[in-house]
Amino acid sequence: MGQTITEKILSRAEGRPVSAGEIIHPVPELVTCHDWYVVNFDRALTELGVDKLFDPSRVLISTDHEPVATTPQSSERQKRVREIVAKYGIKHFYDVGRGGLGHIFPIEIGMIKPGMFIEAYDTHVTNYGAVGALGIALVTEISEVLALGSVWLRVPETVRVNLHGATRPGTSMRDIAQKLIADLGDELVDYCVVEYGGPGLASVDIAGRHALCNTPLEIGAKSALVEPDQATLDYLAPRTSGPIDLVRSDSDARFKAVIDYDLSAIGPQIAMPPTPDNVHSVAKALGTPVHHAFIGSCASGNLTDLEDAAKILKGRTVHPQVRLYVTPATQEVARQAARSGLLEIFLSAGATITQAGCGPCAGGRIGAMAEGETSINTGTRNDVRRLGASGDIYLASPMTVAASAVTGAITDPRSLLEETRS
Amino acid sequence: VNWLYRGKCWRFGDSLGIDGDIMPLRFALAREMDPMVLREHLMCEIDPDFAKRVKPGDLIVGGRRFGQGNPHIQGFLGIRGHGLGLLAESIPRGSFRNAINAGLPFLAPCPNVTTLCETGDDLEVDFSTGRMRNLTRGETHQFQPIEPELRAIVAKGGWKGHVKERLAARSSHQSEAPHNLFGR
Repeated sequence: MGQTITEKILSRAEGRPVSAGEIIHPVPELVTCHDWYVVNFDRALTELGVDKLFDPSRVLISTDHEPVATTPQSSERQKRVREIVAKYGIKHFYDVGRGGLGHIFPIEIGMIKPGMFIEAYDTHVTNYGAVGALGIALVTEISEVLALGSVWLRVPETVRVNLHGATRPGTSMRDIAQKLIADLGDELVDYCVVEYGGPGLASVDIAGRHALCNTPLEIGAKSALVEPDQATLDYLAPRTSGPIDLVRSDSDARFKAVIDYDLSAIGPQIAMPPTPDNVHSVAKALGTPVHHAFIGSCASGNLTDLEDAAKILKGRTVHPQVRLYVTPATQEVARQAARSGLLEIFLSAGATITQAGCGPCAGGRIGAMAEGETSINTGTRNDVRRLGASGDIYLASPMTVAASAVTGAITDPRSLLEETRS
Repeated sequence: VNWLYRGKCWRFGDSLGIDGDIMPLRFALAREMDPMVLREHLMCEIDPDFAKRVKPGDLIVGGRRFGQGNPHIQGFLGIRGHGLGLLAESIPRGSFRNAINAGLPFLAPCPNVTTLCETGDDLEVDFSTGRMRNLTRGETHQFQPIEPELRAIVAKGGWKGHVKERLAARSSHQSEAPHNLFGR
């Protein structure tokens, strides 16, 4: 019997061949945690009498949820995080102004490779699947891995999604990723890894692959990854040295389901309140007034996402009733956006650029909504109070968010793209 | 460890939320971890008198997606605080881990279990074998027990006891993956 990518990755991490359903204790090559949980894991380890990590050279901490401390308490917490990093000798510490969003910059700097196994505190570590690595979120059990190097895991089954065709103008991979989770459904993907492949994958760039690997966990998938291909090698070549093993599923691997998905059949989508899988064609919400808009997050904060937004915002201004925040996911994305003139387009349009990281999506600590306001943004979730006060949150692509910020109401971006062309 | 529970059935429907239905959200936000505190508030938003009416050994029977929502452990600690057992048609992954980590004896998935009993039935459940007897109906049903490795965590009283034991036995554990791709 052949193996899926996930079974191959976990077999290597476990040191013996494993298959879906088994309970194992795989050893991750990297463990990540963000600024808001470091103090908590330190407290948990201290209570357990642990003063040494299993391997501090495999631990990465990123200051991305609140890079610019907004209260005296958060400045104190940042100080504690630096002390804790020093105490345990944690090797990979990316503080304010260094890496940026921890689900993205490790890929950018070539730290994440196809076939790697990573465990993390935060749920959206599944983004590492964009280069064919397996990222698994553990939340509080991260303390067990930090102390002992492993935690129990049931080897997940895989749902294989074969992509066909290519997206049409005005539609982005964020639209596809959002619609896809609504179409797959929580029943099918519960505790599965969603694996992407098929002829349509070649046309999907790294930003699109991030989006595809970001959304499935919202409906209960364990993780998501793409089958690494030539595009993966081309992306990694300037970023990393050493051999790269393109770990792919065997032809006789066992999948829970195989789904064919046509990228060209989908137009702009919108996730309506209150869940990310309440997805409809943008037509359903057209004209809904908005007050708050945000472009960024681990789902849509890459350079391609900012370029998409700039296609709409170039030469236009944000509606007077709307405030638009733009958060480049990483320091490198921000740098490239500065060099290519994107930041100038956003600033001319009246947008506010924030420090690289999670932006308002991390609980609305910066740029929150006020009570009763409506937000349209590219964040990961639209639960009530995700962005501070209660109010409706709509999730959409960077183009749809930009178009809605310009008109002051939810707008199909294709109408503005046509104006731009004519 | 006693895996055999006998008591009254308390049946619930599908999609009980871990926050709200099973335990008020404020206890998760306050990171309350004491089962004896949490037991007083179990299911209070569905039935304010629930905590007063259940007895140790009673069995909660849930439908599909028992404990859905943002995976917080407090609801499962509250169930354990009363000495109750749990059977559910399904438990979403995050809550499944929390039920283990709370040291709660449970069976899931139990297909159609909500059709095999009703509130008030006299049930006997062996959590080590997966056998459920409905003594009121005179029927016996067989479900898949939780894997022995996971039952061992429950037997230690949950996550903390389990980790302490692993720490004590640390020297015998594997500390490095055979082929490390992480060459930094």
